[in-house]
Amino acid sequence: MEAPLLRADDAAFGYAGRSVVSDVDLQIRGGEFVALLGPNGSGKTTLLRGLLGFVPLLAGRIERRPGLRIGYVPQRETLDPLYPLSAEDVVLLATYGDTPPWRLIGRSQRARASAALDAARATPLARKRYGELSGGQRQRVLIARALAVQPDLLVLDEPTAGVDPETAEGILVMLDDLRRARGLGIWMVSHHVAPLRARVDRIATVEDGRLCFEDVTR
Amino acid sequence: MSFLSSDFLFRNALAGGLFVALLCGMLGVYVVLRRFALLGVALPQASAAGIACSFLVLGHSHAAGGLPHAASGAPHAAALVGSVAATFGALALLVFTSRRSQIPEDGRIGALLAIASAATVLFVAANPKGDFELTGLLRGELLAISDGDLALLAGVALATAALFGLFRRELLLASFDPDFARTLGKDPRRADALLYSLLGATISIGVMTAGPLVVFGFLTLPALCALRVAPGIGWAFAIAAAVSAVSSVAGFGIAYAADLPAGPVDVAVAAALWLAVSGFARLRTAARSRAALLSLLLAAAGVVSGGCAGVLGAGDGDEASALAPLPRGTLPDPTRPVVVLRFRNETGQTLRLADPNPLKDLGRAAGDPFAKKGLTALDQLEAIAAEELARRGFTLVAFEEARRVAPNAPADPASAGFAAQRAGLDALVLQGTLSRFTLSPSRVLLITLDLALVDPRDGRIVWSGRAHGPFPVPAALTLQEAVRDAGPPVFARAFGAG
Repeated sequence: MEAPLLRADDAAFGYAGRSVVSDVDLQIRGGEFVALLGPNGSGKTTLLRGLLGFVPLLAGRIERRPGLRIGYVPQRETLDPLYPLSAEDVVLLATYGDTPPWRLIGRSQRARASAALDAARATPLARKRYGELSGGQRQRVLIARALAVQPDLLVLDEPTAGVDPETAEGILVMLDDLRRARGLGIWMVSHHVAPLRARVDRIATVEDGRLCFEDVTR
Repeated sequence: MSFLSSDFLFRNALAGGLFVALLCGMLGVYVVLRRFALLGVALPQASAAGIACSFLVLGHSHAAGGLPHAASGAPHAAALVGSVAATFGALALLVFTSRRSQIPEDGRIGALLAIASAATVLFVAANPKGDFELTGLLRGELLAISDGDLALLAGVALATAALFGLFRRELLLASFDPDFARTLGKDPRRADALLYSLLGATISIGVMTAGPLVVFGFLTLPALCALRVAPGIGWAFAIAAAVSAVSSVAGFGIAYAADLPAGPVDVAVAAALWLAVSGFARLRTAARSRAALLSLLLAAAGVVSGGCAGVLGAGDGDEASALAPLPRGTLPDPTRPVVVLRFRNETGQTLRLADPNPLKDLGRAAGDPFAKKGLTALDQLEAIAAEELARRGFTLVAFEEARRVAPNAPADPASAGFAAQRAGLDALVLQGTLSRFTLSPSRVLLITLDLALVDPRDGRIVWSGRAHGPFPVPAALTLQEAVRDAGPPVFARAFGAG
């Protein structure tokens, strides 16, 4: 079996020395679609941010596969629409990690952004100002940005929150297609279990600071 | 003698003000975007306190408010040290307390401002020649700058601009989405440290040259101006720097001619530019329907020409050409059938067409629960779309099939593609969004209709087009007739001339 992309053993995450989520044992594998559920305040976002390294690891350990590339899709409300950036500019941010400061953004970076916009079905939005896009359109642009990282693992924080059911379903289908076509591991935080059941392999639930898994059979 | 001539007495002051303006304008974009405006006023005040403290310690006065001008360089160097130390000390204090204090950031910056303001007044009051210094500092009278001062300022400006340019991407990434920066292996704290350092250097040297008022004014007003109109982030920096530079030079000229303090005039000019640009942006938004302005003119022309055509009986030929094939325009090859889905209505109106039977309309108006909804202008536009696609060689799938695929109007092309994919449809789907529909009293239909052909196999948009503008319908007496008359030219515009 292929080595996991990311592995947590007995990990605990929290703030100011206080644990919010503890006893986390998990393995994230390529091509696996996992939904992370839980009520508000249960600690699912802390867990996700902990796995990404944004929240301190208080106990246990996290192992990442060497060279692991993560495409992160934050909650879209966290990004300031005042910035005068087009959708393409936002996607190009993903190429900054590989571009030294003294190099200009060139054709290869633009081609990467264009391919990612295409894969996220957001090409017609490329020239539009990010701050003027609708919720569903912003979500597609942020997914495109994550894809432009050329990731092994896609981590999404509530990508279907606040969009109409058809758009939400479209996003889930697109993610499902992407993991099949590219073998991406996908971890996604959501509040809505029903539309996810048909797409995901496992459902992870955080309750009272503990994580448990449920395999989904289709 | 012109204030731009080379032997002009205050040439250095003009050049110095220009350097400060350029730096403040450029960095001010981040001050505004990151909501640092309060920091933009507190740090210059801290810098002023540092300078006042250095004067007090050295017991030295300050010539006319600009850089301290002494025969020896020692007081000047001390003032510079005072300014830099106070600015960076204040920054370090804010960063340190942000990690340990429960007090909100604006509370801490507000406290810093109060303390720095009080300290400036007290340091100056304790200095026998203090009043003159305080007035000079606060008014920003940048009149006397030596060649050495100017060289130092130019060096700092060059280094700051170079670092800003070199690390522009890191600064943007850390400012816009620090979490995403971390996933790319970039530490946003480093970029923040660089931004704070550049701000600190600019503010400490800027306050010594132009005073805290000018520095704060140029850190905010030009950026506000630029962010109203800039099409991209790079343009925002360029426009903000340009507005600052123009304000600085024009302000200096006005102050020189009218014998006014240069600093406040600079800020007043920047404020005037901001108001002018905001007014322009507001007008542009209001007339985003350039159509709204142009259409009235076009409408008048259209009504006249249409009216003449009607009188001359030119309508006969239209009937003959109604079913004639048309060039494909920008549409793809008609190799696959097309299904026209319900168009999305984003006009905020019902767009209901009057029923030929007035009793049905009456029943609907009276709230008859059994009355059918009736046709809308969107239904009519969908039918015309199908007809126009057929004229361009496409095979159309029946409307019943379209209703089965998507009973409601899809929100966007991706949703349309998904709905068709879910229904197992192999035909291309035409998705439309009507965002504007106004029939003017002068019989001009103002329409904005976005169309996209989506391939449900992979969800790709294979074609997209837009019909936007005024369409004269001089002969139309009803909404239905207006849509009928405007329909073919609307789709001709969307599909392209070929």
